[in-house]
Amino acid sequence: MDRSLPVWVLAAVALVVLMALPLGWLAYVSVSGVEGATLAHYRRVFTDPPLQKALWNTVVLAFWVGLASLLLGAPMAWLTARTDLPGTRLIRGLILASFVTPPFLGAFAWVMLAGPNAGLLNKIYRSLTGADEPLVNVFSMPGLIFVVSIYTFPYVFIMIANTLELIASDLEEAASILGAGRLRVALTVTLPMVLPAIASGFILAVLQALALFGSPAILALPAGFHTITTQIWAMFQYPPKVEMAAAFSVPLFLATALLLLLQKRLLGRRGYATVGGKGGQRRRLPLGPWRWPALAGCLAVMACSIFLPYAILAKAAAARAWAQPLTLDNLTLGNLALTFGHDGTRAAIWNTLELGVMTACVGAGLAALLAYTANRRLIPGHQFLAFLTLAPVAIPGIVLAVALFVAYTRPPLMLYGSLWILFVAYLTKELPVGYSQSDATFKGIHPELEEAGRILGAGRLRVLAEITAPLARSGIIATWCFVFIGVIRELSASIILFTPNTKVLSVVIFDLKEEGQFGAIAVLGIFMLAMTFAVVVAMQKLLGRDFVSVKE
Amino acid sequence: MPGVRLEGLTKRYGDVAAVDGLDLHVQPGELVSLLGPSGCGKTTTLRLVAGFLRPEAGEIHVGERCLSSVTAVVPPERRRMAMIFQSYALWPHMTVAQNVGYGLRFRAGTSKADRQARVTEMLRVVQLAGYESRYPGELSGGQQQRVAVARALVVEPEILLLDEPLSNLDANLREEMRFEIRRLHETFGITTLYVTHDQAEAMVISDRVAVLHRGRVAQVGSAEDLFQRPRTRFVAEFVGRTNLLDGVAAAADVVARGSLRLRVAAGGFAPGSDVVLSIRPHQIELLAPDGSAPAGHNVLDGTVERVSYLGDALDYQIRVSGSDVVLRVTAPPPARCHPGERARVAVAPESCVPLSGAQEE
Amino acid sequence: MGIRCRRLSALVCALALLTGPASAQDARLEAARKEGKVVWYTSLALSSAEKVARLFEAAYPGIKVEVQRTGSQRILQRVMQELQANLKIVDVIHTSDAGHYVLLKEKKLLLKYTPAGVDAFPPGFKDRDGYYYGLRATVNVIAYNTKLVPASEAPRTWKDLLDPKWRGKLVTAHPGYSGVTATHVLALVHLYGWDYFRQLAQNRLMLVQSAVDPSGVVASGERPVAVNGGDYTFYQVKKKGNPVEMVYPREGVPLVVSPTAIAAGAPHPNAARLFTDFTFSREIQQVLADTEGLYTGHPGVTYPADKPKLGELKLLQVDAEELEKRNEEIKTRFVEFFGA
Repeated sequence: MDRSLPVWVLAAVALVVLMALPLGWLAYVSVSGVEGATLAHYRRVFTDPPLQKALWNTVVLAFWVGLASLLLGAPMAWLTARTDLPGTRLIRGLILASFVTPPFLGAFAWVMLAGPNAGLLNKIYRSLTGADEPLVNVFSMPGLIFVVSIYTFPYVFIMIANTLELIASDLEEAASILGAGRLRVALTVTLPMVLPAIASGFILAVLQALALFGSPAILALPAGFHTITTQIWAMFQYPPKVEMAAAFSVPLFLATALLLLLQKRLLGRRGYATVGGKGGQRRRLPLGPWRWPALAGCLAVMACSIFLPYAILAKAAAARAWAQPLTLDNLTLGNLALTFGHDGTRAAIWNTLELGVMTACVGAGLAALLAYTANRRLIPGHQFLAFLTLAPVAIPGIVLAVALFVAYTRPPLMLYGSLWILFVAYLTKELPVGYSQSDATFKGIHPELEEAGRILGAGRLRVLAEITAPLARSGIIATWCFVFIGVIRELSASIILFTPNTKVLSVVIFDLKEEGQFGAIAVLGIFMLAMTFAVVVAMQKLLGRDFVSVKE
Repeated sequence: MPGVRLEGLTKRYGDVAAVDGLDLHVQPGELVSLLGPSGCGKTTTLRLVAGFLRPEAGEIHVGERCLSSVTAVVPPERRRMAMIFQSYALWPHMTVAQNVGYGLRFRAGTSKADRQARVTEMLRVVQLAGYESRYPGELSGGQQQRVAVARALVVEPEILLLDEPLSNLDANLREEMRFEIRRLHETFGITTLYVTHDQAEAMVISDRVAVLHRGRVAQVGSAEDLFQRPRTRFVAEFVGRTNLLDGVAAAADVVARGSLRLRVAAGGFAPGSDVVLSIRPHQIELLAPDGSAPAGHNVLDGTVERVSYLGDALDYQIRVSGSDVVLRVTAPPPARCHPGERARVAVAPESCVPLSGAQEE
Repeated sequence: MGIRCRRLSALVCALALLTGPASAQDARLEAARKEGKVVWYTSLALSSAEKVARLFEAAYPGIKVEVQRTGSQRILQRVMQELQANLKIVDVIHTSDAGHYVLLKEKKLLLKYTPAGVDAFPPGFKDRDGYYYGLRATVNVIAYNTKLVPASEAPRTWKDLLDPKWRGKLVTAHPGYSGVTATHVLALVHLYGWDYFRQLAQNRLMLVQSAVDPSGVVASGERPVAVNGGDYTFYQVKKKGNPVEMVYPREGVPLVVSPTAIAAGAPHPNAARLFTDFTFSREIQQVLADTEGLYTGHPGVTYPADKPKLGELKLLQVDAEELEKRNEEIKTRFVEFFGA
């Protein structure tokens, strides 16, 4: 028997426990009543008017976010990928930045920018026009849709830009030679080829909006409406209605699973790589006089998601009163002192870092083992392994948190109250990202490289350590970074699972928000962003001077 | 130096049998090529021998050791083999010396100094002395190939496996490397299995060639055997170009198709049975329209349909009078007849080779 | 705040030394030192809570105070969740919802302890069974931004807030988060019935969570008028120079007494007792009154001249047990009217 077998089996078993235990409990609790099994919770979920309203709000939010993300992401993807737009690199960098910006920080910044009365933009608007009514009101459904969309459109952008990059110009030129005009080419050749990417980008954006907790909590609650996620969270208030929360999680879970299935079918089994006219030249369409207006348009979007929010955060961090002009009088280091002088905050920073590093290490390791096992077909049922690892994509953070809370506040595993429950939550939540990343890594390493080692006398584990691991190094580091970034910004699961001893940065920010401590939030938010960008830059550096050339 | 025996070897992928009851004996010190088109099972066979795959039936023996059977498979690392891969599979994160020396670390009783000496020596043999500290990415294709060869040979394996090692090289280099591999084989005398789809390569390199078809050995023999005496339609078609002629036995040593009759040296047919003949194009002699052939040769008259100039040869297509048969004939330049002209050809009875497996497509 | 804070802590240090602990107290101090810290779940505004904690740490070096500040209802939620998971984390529980203590007492989650010096406190600050005592008090007031609302137009009564001219200009804290607000809602329900809130909701209020938050919202001008919130939070914001003014409506102001108690399962019971005594000392009660603008039950405390005395106000009082019983009703109806 292969001596390495226990390693693969163990990784698979860990995965099954990680997934099956909480989801099993979630299902169980959602149908358990005082007198045995009951469907009463489900009945209430679908008949209680406030809950119905929350469901409907979520549908409205998700749909419009999907659409708005498409309207922002698709043109920008086309402009950066296929035209001679100036500053493409800059735009891409900015989009990456908005991609890694925690949405709740953005939402928070937009409260300061577009609160109907004190919001900076509205103030400027009023002083310019003398109008009474605000220009924009961020505490409203349209406001929420806008703020969510400007941090969600990168999903659409990445999806479509990647596809466009794969379409060789000859495909389009073939159509031009046959006499089709520029617009016709776009509509009849380019569009159909990117249609799957467009549709799946839309679905991705919808999924993001469905699962989001922070932004609705910051923008919808003051406006007096709930979404599914904020409603689930409210159900945890005393007296907690865990059964209701579990029952309410199920529609969210099902909707997510359904959308993912749809996306998979849209992309087809071979994914969007099928459009690849391999090695084909890509010529950029000259925009002519439209170059600068197009650039201005892109920058306007980035102003909404990056420039304005970051600027107002910086201002709030340095100001006594964020709504007043930043005069010398109004400047202070007090926010810094209040933030970092507080033991609780310092503990939370440590907790966050500890969890980030721990989850990233274990997550990257486990994802690598699982991806390796599945890629090299090391155990029977390896196809199932991939499915199971990717399954948490279908579990919104707050649902996962409810499931974990139910599963780990009772024997056999009492994890609630320790960092471990957060660790498990993060690990589960980040596994799909880690897995996809690792999967791509191992797909890029030719199995013959390992076989060459085997036949010369090295055992499987030795080959893994001496040949595969060094080759997969940069891929694994990238996985590590992705997981780390995901963890330090996580809010929707943490908000349910933390205890005072195990607070994390995002929860502290959320707590501060409830108290209206704008300055401290801004300081912590900037700190969080700095941490994120440090990791992103380090990752790009590492991947940039990658010495492993992957053979095609 | 042990030999290799494959007996009844079977490997399935789903419902498809990639290798289907394959038998093959390789003598100690012999170099045998597995030749066949893609999908014939040659690479699967090689990977079964290497121990990367577990057979569903059959056994693999090296000398007295049974390495693979349905119940037990010795893992690759304990088979004392070496393998050269189509992609070379050089480790990009190791230097040339580290690549070549890797396998020596698992050979008991080799000291570090000893290892270094052997690596240096082997690199000299493959003409890469001085390249020790280069990385594979810094070498040309041919040099990478040599590193792969050195890495396999330095461990002095009992069995050497090569999986289309030359298919990534350009044509000139490939030809050069054929002789190089043959030279190394003659130097080291390691029992070798060599997978290729290129018949010229197989013929140059091997002691014997096993032609694989649908997961089985269709025929095994020396290059000349296969060429002169193909046993099946598949082998005849796959090894070199040939004229295939479906006919009926008119007598024990005569095959007929319409009015066309050919005497066959290796006769013994039951009259009335179906026979397929293979006639190599260069074994057909082109005569003058009224020329005469040696006694006993089959003489056929026909019309030239097409002549193609191939540089070192001319390829004629000649329609035989009174039949639907078009024969291809190869002859050295200059052209002796032109399209539309009448022509006469002669074929020795020995050159008409009857094939078995007439029912095969 | 640096210098002033340091001077204060020096003062407290000196006092703690001067009063000269007897030997029984010595033993208790020793035990508390061994425990090393006290975990304080508090709904006191973060900066105020931090100040009290630092003063305690200065007075008793070696014993740390871990401040976990969040809304009253969140504190109860955490306490109950931790109970369910059998976690013992909290030592001292301090919220602004007196109803919580009725519940916690009933569930036997409190340790019976009478802090030194509370005998002289008025009855409204004391549990008759001796489990919890009012650490501080505040009243709910109306507040407005003086830059946006001239004093002549500012609302004077709770009923004034129903005027449609305030549509889109009001902010309220949430009874589902804040005990101060839950108390406020119940008091006004006594006064005017639920109909008052039904009408108030017509004015499209901005909802924030903490009773601390309306002060910030009004100060920033996001909404010019707050319909509730502890007067001490507005007082502090005003002290910092923000254009905020308070209105103490003549119908009466809901009094919120915020009790404190020691958890039955406190992991640091001695430090908890020491800390509780400390917070009820005249010095700390005076700090709460002076720098935080809070009211207290301590008879020896003096109040800033620019704040009305408790005795001058018409107080609307709420029974703790009723607050506990109607907790769910308050939250549900509030959500019904205000949406979330």
